[in-house]
Amino acid sequence: TSSSVIFPLTKYEASSISMATTESPSSVRKVVVHLRATGGAPILKQAKFKIPGTDKFAKVIDFLRRQLHSDSLFVYVNSAFSPNPDESVNDLYNNFGFDGKLVVNYAFSMAWG
Amino acid sequence: FCVAAGLRERERETERFRDLILLRPMDDGKLSVEGFCVAARAFADKWKRNKQMLPPWSWVPLINRTLLVPNKEEGYLSLEKIILKECPEEESVNEEGSMDHTILEIPEEESLDYCALVQNVEKEAHYYDFHVVYSASYRVPVLYFRGYCSGGQPLSLDVIKEDLPSGSLGLLLESKWTFITQEEHPYLNRPWFKLHPCGTEEWIKLLSSGGCQMTVDLYLVSWFSVVGQAVGLRIPLEMLN
Repeated sequence: TSSSVIFPLTKYEASSISMATTESPSSVRKVVVHLRATGGAPILKQAKFKIPGTDKFAKVIDFLRRQLHSDSLFVYVNSAFSPNPDESVNDLYNNFGFDGKLVVNYAFSMAWG
Repeated sequence: FCVAAGLRERERETERFRDLILLRPMDDGKLSVEGFCVAARAFADKWKRNKQMLPPWSWVPLINRTLLVPNKEEGYLSLEKIILKECPEEESVNEEGSMDHTILEIPEEESLDYCALVQNVEKEAHYYDFHVVYSASYRVPVLYFRGYCSGGQPLSLDVIKEDLPSGSLGLLLESKWTFITQEEHPYLNRPWFKLHPCGTEEWIKLLSSGGCQMTVDLYLVSWFSVVGQAVGLRIPLEMLN
């Protein structure tokens, strides 16, 4: 019968793995956000950003509002869901991220006047 | 002619139910009345499993009414006696250690010491009822809501707006897609406020354009992610699973 043997990691190997997969207190994981125009809204010249995962979604919304000079934006993710501005980008990435990025769609909602 | 029409109707009905069984995606952003019932049950179920801090939605069946489709159960979803805003003078009840939530679960009436409250609390507690009702004319769900004091006196819209988080107010003021009107509740013969459904079809279509097919069982989850924000109610992300 064959049995598998587990070789303990060297100290070097162990620390490499831990750096890749865990966050040290001093570094904050960044999330790649891809802003996608829908419903005829203008396409941003720069649409891809890296922001700290601890940021709230409100930051993305506010950024879009400034860039598009509009307060009435409709912002949503690819799973037919409009996240609350209080959600953390980390949580959104964990739930809706795909292919290493979080796609955030935006459109103009119908404004008054 | 009658036989042919009957057969066609039978075909249509079979297709409607096949859509429901297969949970086919929504093409035009609208719901059939059967679709609404399926979506409502799925929504209430997911809410119950994922949102323990708030009471569950109940399904209120409509009986002895002129039903849109005879012999099919119709109804609406109801969530009542919710406190939206924490009164600073009150002690938190059922908070479960979360300072970020602006929603408290309504304490059992037996545990409320009304005498003490009247003496100590400057602000009267405001309670909210929410109903998700199907609109046959727009073929989408509509959120009805009302606010009232512990004595039952209805709250005006100005007072209600003070209870809403600032983000909600922004949504209500900026967008034609989420605005409030007051009209008689379709089943309760009393004035309620509602989020007007005229824009729903448009933004539901946008929501489902993002590369994900929206199926009937998730329709109300997606719908509520937008509508809930306008009235200070939040959907946990896990509800999409």
